[in-house]
Amino acid sequence: MSVHTVSADRPADLLKSSSTVVWLFLIVATVVSWALGTDHGGIENHTAASLIILAVAFVKIRFIGLYFMELKDAPLVLRAIIEAYCLVVFCVVTGFYLAG
Amino acid sequence: MASLGTAPPPDDTEAPKKVKRIPGEEGTWIFIFGDMTVFAVFFSVFLQSRIGDPDGFARDQAELNQNFGAINTALLLVSSLFVVLAMRAVQSTTQRHLAPRLIAAAWLCGAGFLAIKILEYTEKIQHDITPQTSDFFMYYFVLTGLHAFHLVIGLVVLVVLYKLSQKPEMTKNQYSFFEGGACFWHMVDLLWIVLFPLIFLVR
Amino acid sequence: MALKTEIDSGLMKAAVWSGIVLIVAMVIAQGFLMHFIPPPSPDLSADELAQKFIDRKNEIRLGCLIQCMAWGFWATWSMAITIIMRKMERGYPILTYCSIALNGGGYVFFILIPMTWAVIAFRPETLDPEIMQIMNDWVWFDFLFTWPPFAVFMALIGVAILKDHNVPTLYPRWVAYLNFWCAILIFPAGLIAFFHTGLFAYDGIGAFWMPFAVFFGWMITMSVTTFQAINRIKATQVAALSDDEPALV
Repeated sequence: MSVHTVSADRPADLLKSSSTVVWLFLIVATVVSWALGTDHGGIENHTAASLIILAVAFVKIRFIGLYFMELKDAPLVLRAIIEAYCLVVFCVVTGFYLAG
Repeated sequence: MASLGTAPPPDDTEAPKKVKRIPGEEGTWIFIFGDMTVFAVFFSVFLQSRIGDPDGFARDQAELNQNFGAINTALLLVSSLFVVLAMRAVQSTTQRHLAPRLIAAAWLCGAGFLAIKILEYTEKIQHDITPQTSDFFMYYFVLTGLHAFHLVIGLVVLVVLYKLSQKPEMTKNQYSFFEGGACFWHMVDLLWIVLFPLIFLVR
Repeated sequence: MALKTEIDSGLMKAAVWSGIVLIVAMVIAQGFLMHFIPPPSPDLSADELAQKFIDRKNEIRLGCLIQCMAWGFWATWSMAITIIMRKMERGYPILTYCSIALNGGGYVFFILIPMTWAVIAFRPETLDPEIMQIMNDWVWFDFLFTWPPFAVFMALIGVAILKDHNVPTLYPRWVAYLNFWCAILIFPAGLIAFFHTGLFAYDGIGAFWMPFAVFFGWMITMSVTTFQAINRIKATQVAALSDDEPALV
């Protein structure tokens, strides 16, 4: 079985991966979304703020899929499914949102 | 069958081209993508019924406590990071012993999410807000409840992963289950990342 | 010796076929005869509902009779899977025994569905519509709200497959995950207690169509994979016997 082995001399070395960077991004994105959704974000237009929030959410789940679920290195089919899921569900959700 | 947790093959220095591989096993992905699709339908149904009464939805949404939702998002993200680290610990030769502790930490974050959820529901019910109050609250309770149900299953999965991570070595199938279980936990996180903005934030 | 090598899996296959018969009978009886797929809306008034039973009382009676017979096959079908589960388990066969208990109990719920409808259709003209409404609600709760033993059965199948000691496993491993997924998917059936209309009312997409489609889709998938498992076991046994070794149990 071809499982890559992580070399980590100290416990902190476990943090040395792209996943950690992605995680920091996810935390920042969460704070931004929260600010936009609770009138702390400085954008008066609710529709614009909501669209940004939705877009950020789907970027976040794409990163979770690619880095946390490790679909980045998965066969093309799996990778394509997660990318398509993010794109299609984002479009559908945004469409329904704008119609409301 | 390669036994995991043994030293890497010596050809590791050459920065090998990454081999495409399925995390977990094929079946895991039937389950995970299947579940995500069902939730995608629920997201759409929720927004579709918002079309009929956007003002009512906005009014009800204002009664939600966004801070609970945000704290819960943070808890799940932290918990996902712990699972990622546990996965890396299991793959490492020297830090394997940390894996059970990391899984336990992830479990505690998940339990924290559930505690806050219960607090949130209690607060709503004390204000006489139930699924019968309005369409919005029906969706609020059902969608967050379904998610919480997944989270409870995830907590059970994490207990299994905890047991597996204590083993000095895992068989191929056990390792696959470990990876798949980790992915399931990330899915619980992923679904919340969409649900939180959809129900709490989008106006 | 040569005669003994023939291993009879005919009854096992018949048990699996009985599940297919169940599905077909279900569609004919509940769908075409009774017009109860989809369910009448829980929002109907008592009089509107009573009229449905009065108009179609003979079709409903016949449908109930067919369904009552067909649901009996639930026991035969589920035991075919349970037997294969037994072959997957070693040591304490707890999953097998739990399955027997769950399906023996669950099967009673199934029989009560057509039985109650038949009682309603027995004298619908003189039955108080309010009582009829409650009885009809009862049937749909019996049909959907009783999801847990079946979800647990699905979960047990999944666990049994993941822990299967046979090489290769008797069911492919993806079947395990499919079972876990189905177990979760029929959960919204438990939400019908809260809603009279909408997604999770007992005629809604979430509480009726999804569990309904999942459940019967699951039965078809499990039937096909169980046929394959039976054939695989038989092939192994035949191979073992022809090598003059004792057959696998």
